[in-house]
Amino acid sequence: MTQMIEVPAPDGATAPPTVKVRGRWALSWHGVRTVAALELRQRVRSTRWVVALVVWTVVVGAITLLLFGATRRIFDFDDVTADRSQSGPLLFAAVTFLVLGLGLLVTPTLSSTSVNGDRNAGTLATLQVTLLTSAEIALGKLLAAWAAACAFLVLSLPFLALATGAGPTPWWSLLRVVAIIAVLLVAVCAIGLGMSALVSRSAGSTVLTFIVVAAVTFIAPLLFGLTYQSVSSYQEVRVYGMPSSWNGEDEVQCVWTQEERWVANTQSTWWLLAVNPFVIVADGAGTNADDDGTDPLRGMRDVVREVRAGASGQVDECWADSSEFEAVRSEHAVWPWGLGFNVLLGAIGYVVAVRRLSIPQRTLPRGTRVA
Amino acid sequence: MTDTTAAPAPPPASAPPPPGIVVRNLKRSFGAVHALDGVSLTARSGAVTALVGPNGSGKTTLLLVLAGLLVPDSGEVQVAGFDPVVEGPSARARTGWMPDAFGTWDSLTAREVLQTFAAAYRIDPARARARATELLETVHLTEYADRPASVLSRGQKQRLGLARALVHDPQVLLLDEPASGLDPRSRVDLRILLRRLAEEGRTVLVSSHILSELEEMADDVVFVSRGRAAGASELGGAGLAATDRSTWHVRALSYAALTGWLTSVGASWQPDDEQDPHTPPREQPGGVLLTIEGDEGAARLVRDAVAAGVPLVSLSPASGALERAYLALEEERR
Ligand SMILES: Nc1ncnc2c1ncn2[C@@H]1O[C@H](COP(=O)(O)OP(=O)(O)OP(=O)(O)O)[C@@H](O)[C@H]1O
Ligand SMILES: [Mg+2]
Repeated sequence: MTQMIEVPAPDGATAPPTVKVRGRWALSWHGVRTVAALELRQRVRSTRWVVALVVWTVVVGAITLLLFGATRRIFDFDDVTADRSQSGPLLFAAVTFLVLGLGLLVTPTLSSTSVNGDRNAGTLATLQVTLLTSAEIALGKLLAAWAAACAFLVLSLPFLALATGAGPTPWWSLLRVVAIIAVLLVAVCAIGLGMSALVSRSAGSTVLTFIVVAAVTFIAPLLFGLTYQSVSSYQEVRVYGMPSSWNGEDEVQCVWTQEERWVANTQSTWWLLAVNPFVIVADGAGTNADDDGTDPLRGMRDVVREVRAGASGQVDECWADSSEFEAVRSEHAVWPWGLGFNVLLGAIGYVVAVRRLSIPQRTLPRGTRVA
Repeated sequence: MTDTTAAPAPPPASAPPPPGIVVRNLKRSFGAVHALDGVSLTARSGAVTALVGPNGSGKTTLLLVLAGLLVPDSGEVQVAGFDPVVEGPSARARTGWMPDAFGTWDSLTAREVLQTFAAAYRIDPARARARATELLETVHLTEYADRPASVLSRGQKQRLGLARALVHDPQVLLLDEPASGLDPRSRVDLRILLRRLAEEGRTVLVSSHILSELEEMADDVVFVSRGRAAGASELGGAGLAATDRSTWHVRALSYAALTGWLTSVGASWQPDDEQDPHTPPREQPGGVLLTIEGDEGAARLVRDAVAAGVPLVSLSPASGALERAYLALEEERR
């Protein structure tokens, strides 16, 4: 061992670089990539990660194959040439919801400890004192978490493709479903990021993230159901029904009458359904099976669009099969609103994270030290 | 002032030294705890300044404010000529901060840790690689360069933390207890490294509880107590260096003869740590501490003492000056 210690100076000028003054919101690809690479490198190297991917693939694969078998047995029997239009859409819907549901379960854990976990490990402050802006740190962490979530999505692609190939579902729908799920997952990642910046304990932020996801998935539709009665009332509507003179046997022409009916004015509460990720995916998938087909996605889409339209002032009570009453099928898509709402939640999470990450800090989260 | 910092760092000899650290009346409290209660201090560039104080006196808090991590409640701060609150990025680009406990990421190797930080300081990859290799050599971690940083021992982690703080070649170094957990060899290395950095014209502010260690490397010392700098001025202005060089430990076979002679020639002395200051001098081996002007003064003392028949045993520069000053200060506080 030598006694002398050389203090290396970087070659060239030893001058500190002339620092461009960049605010906390400034972003550069270099900075974002540095943080994202750091996060991903750690995740990829942990064995937990590999195990999670394998388990995911096995679970999604196994359930898909079971569903595949089950739908064939129910609808097609063993006749290979049977019409696939019935089993295909059901299989596609089932696999899509499976991937979405599991994705919503897994994704919160990917980002919900990324800030407070680093803070507890003592690695956050050393990163903050560098020239990275807080927006870069937050976006890098978000991108890394999203990339991890997308890895799960990519592993599910073969099974989604299998379901698409099984029926009349257009490939275009597969693309839309994957894109919408990816956007939903980035929103969930951003919510988790915000929570992890807000709450000092990792367990707390994970639970809160799950609560937000549960709120849009279960609680909002539940509220929709609970408020259904209160938005309903007796109203004068135009009823298209059997004439009062009908004796119950003859073929008759239905007639329009003005009557009181119990109608639900869901046009004020439809958004409670619209924020639900499953509704968003169903509406956005754009599957287009025949009306009489058993396409759950199509069914959900019709219901939610009807709910959005609310009371139209017309009620169809005609038993005689007649094409005169055209139930106006709403072409007003619901999914952009729902997706927009989820993305907005994510944006709030991101903004919270950036604000909480910026230094120098004035207030510290309770019971934490910087170092 | 702005000129010197904006221009390429001037060689320390020719240009006026760039500003180091200036802190004036800094206050910061956490709820009811006044962690910093009006600290003022100056750390010169080209010198190692020691930050000494009891647990909870606010050293770490002070370093956090200087590193640009905490907003002070009031007071002025200048680090390398920049205010870390207002001109954060400019100040941070010139500041290397080492926390007292350096956390590492789970699965990154030591080399990757350094390269990541180099990237975070916008050093281009080729230079970052070279820099990481150099620094790992400096802190003697080359052997561990490609092993996960999380399995390094505490002292090795501490050394990696030091290398991390140096990655962007900062003008100002803020080190929070860098010597804790280091083996004796690494402490010597650290001392030499910090001296070298100071000689290059950098400002080094180092907090530590190992006073004997600080004594050997610090030019200035700042005592912090209950959020206030008890200051070098209270220690006699000249600070540690002067005190250290002029205090000598003199031992003789007869403590009574030694003290008697010293009193007769009018020297001011005080008993050393082993003596009980309240009992009268006795005929047994013992030593005193006294202030002597330079080496010639010491030589004169030996000559005169021997001529006067004092049975001298040893004469050596006194150690533990910092510790004595520290304990004296503590006593004063109580
Ligand atoms: N985040 C915080 N919240 C509340 N109190 C804090 C916080 N950080 C520091 N303190 C308090 O401020 C005081 C100063 O703490 P600081 O860490 O600066 O001490 P120190 O001088 O570094 O001590 P040590 O020698 O033990 O490292 C302590 O009383 C501490 O409890
Ligand atoms: Mg401390």
